[in-house]
Amino acid sequence: MISIPAFITRHVLIALLLGGFAGILFVLFLIEFDHVTGSEEFCTGCHSMELVAEPYRDSAHYNPASGVRASCGDCHVSEGVFAATWDHILGGKDLWAQLFGPDYDDPAINALHTPDAAFAARRWFQKNDSATCRRCHVQDAINGSRANTLLIHQQETQGKSCIDCHYNLVHRRVPDEKTFKRDKWNRMIEQEFNLASGKADELLQH
Amino acid sequence: MVYAKNHSKPTLLLCLIMVSWLGVVGIAWAEKVKLSPDNWGKAEGKACIDCHEKSSPGLTRQWEESAHAKAGVNCLDCHQALPADDDALEHEGRVIATIVSPKDCGRCHTIESTETQNSVHSQAVALIGDKLPGLADNLSGKALISAGCTQCHGSFVAVRGDGTLTPESWPNSGIGRINPDGSRGSCSACHGRHQFSKAQARTPEACTWCHNGSDSPDDEVFEKSKHGALFTSHRDKMNLASDDWVTGKDYSAAPTCVTCHMGASPGLKASHDVGMREAWSLNGPVSEKQYLVIFEDGERRELPDTQAVPRRGSDLAKLDGSIGKVKAVATPKQRRQAMGKVCIECHSKGFTDGFMRQFDDAIKYYNERFGKPAQSIMRALYEKSLLTTTAFDEPLEFTYWKLWHDEGTKLRHGAAMASPNHSGWQGVHQVAQLFYGTFLSQLRELAGEETANALIGEYTSGWAQQKESAASTAPIPLVGYGVDKP
Repeated sequence: MISIPAFITRHVLIALLLGGFAGILFVLFLIEFDHVTGSEEFCTGCHSMELVAEPYRDSAHYNPASGVRASCGDCHVSEGVFAATWDHILGGKDLWAQLFGPDYDDPAINALHTPDAAFAARRWFQKNDSATCRRCHVQDAINGSRANTLLIHQQETQGKSCIDCHYNLVHRRVPDEKTFKRDKWNRMIEQEFNLASGKADELLQH
Repeated sequence: MVYAKNHSKPTLLLCLIMVSWLGVVGIAWAEKVKLSPDNWGKAEGKACIDCHEKSSPGLTRQWEESAHAKAGVNCLDCHQALPADDDALEHEGRVIATIVSPKDCGRCHTIESTETQNSVHSQAVALIGDKLPGLADNLSGKALISAGCTQCHGSFVAVRGDGTLTPESWPNSGIGRINPDGSRGSCSACHGRHQFSKAQARTPEACTWCHNGSDSPDDEVFEKSKHGALFTSHRDKMNLASDDWVTGKDYSAAPTCVTCHMGASPGLKASHDVGMREAWSLNGPVSEKQYLVIFEDGERRELPDTQAVPRRGSDLAKLDGSIGKVKAVATPKQRRQAMGKVCIECHSKGFTDGFMRQFDDAIKYYNERFGKPAQSIMRALYEKSLLTTTAFDEPLEFTYWKLWHDEGTKLRHGAAMASPNHSGWQGVHQVAQLFYGTFLSQLRELAGEETANALIGEYTSGWAQQKESAASTAPIPLVGYGVDKP
């Protein structure tokens, strides 16, 4: 007969069992949570994200010939329940900013902040070596429709991550941070939204 | 001679300087790049080629066949940019610009870049400033500005706030393009990228992709001149790929556009300041002999010789409206002398002078007989408010435009480049039919017989009403008079 230590009482056993179940349920919940909160429907629940999604719906990631559609979370949330949850915790600051920060629902304000969002997203892709791209894209299998696409992806990619070359694919075009000129961007947005000269800088202050 | 207030000693000295500037000191064709090769062959640029051999093999092959490739000049040497440049963009880890402007080329090709940026070519946008609104708004249509006008004249390249070039302004290889770095011109207008072949740039085709058609019918005029016929027949003897390309020395089979307008001849320096050797303006309603005014900063402008010669050191408006200080003035005579130096490589002095006389006579005749009278009549009609100031809303405006621009230009270019049919049947013959047949009839219709006759009398000295030969009794079959019944 296996001797059970005295401190494992019936109550402890019940607590362990319940705790275990609760843990499993919690992880299952996280999986579901990460899944739901990574969906286009959830993300575009905020009007500001609807503005970001407009160009996405014209992109090849929304309507590829293959029929494989990448949703928001497929690209912007890491694989694996813990990493995905961590990303969502970090993403919580965006929710905070949406509620208490600038009025991102205003298309002009949204467009003024787009470059900073793009730079942050690109840094995130760089940091994780474009891991979410690689969920679907296998580097050795990129044949392309042009003659040398495969060769280029095999011979010209050392030290490079997908995002280094492939940016401005989905959302509004933003130049690389190195060549970005805030002043020119603001003037462009003013023109686009018929704002008075200098208004963009003012809007950015708030 | 260079004019100044009086012909004092400094003036004579200036004359000498000017004459040598116009090319008494003959030198070889292309200026060799004098920079040390350490200035190019950027190591990072070699990586571009690896990928572009695969992604755009056509242009890479063109570059591989170029003198640039042989000298070790790679993609990044020309396309490098600073992050602060308006049109700078990140590309595979490097900061580059799509547009390689004359300023960029001038990093090595200093002289050519300076000459080009000061030439009439670089002013091609400013030169149509007063034509474009009327033409584009009311005739050709704004939609055609990008595909038509600016592809030759040059666009005002606009960079959007996101670093992209507007599709209305790019792609564009127009010769007077205003680049994001502020420079004017496009070397690739003549030097097809990415091969930049000397031989290609010396052919007439380098010029005639723009210089053809009613605005500048030089393709057809040259083709139908003896010069053009000789070029076509002897193209293989033109030594087009030669390093030096001096008329009479390196080739003598035929001239091309480059030969007369920019090329080196013994005693005449080659120059990218195209237009320098042209005594007449041939593209306006009335032709004028023109001074070439050189400003202290190197910029230039033409000035009709009916105006007083601007004094050295005086202020004068540049083409863009800003004020510059006059450094020197080349007279039409000097400009003609420079052109004449090319002619005498193959023709005698008497032959050259005789040809120039025929050319001048044709231009003067056009001016006095058609250009000036038509222009004066139009001015009077606007003054009398018989014409509205909206361009191209009355038949007479169309006729006037066709008269001086389409047919008048053909006449004058034909005379300048010795194509008899362009100065004759396709030129003056068309101009005269338009003037007598259409312009004057439309004038009578618009202004009434009395006003029309007064205007015709005033501005044509009456000759438009009275024919030079009296009524004939002999048959004149060409107008169907006196011929037998068929």
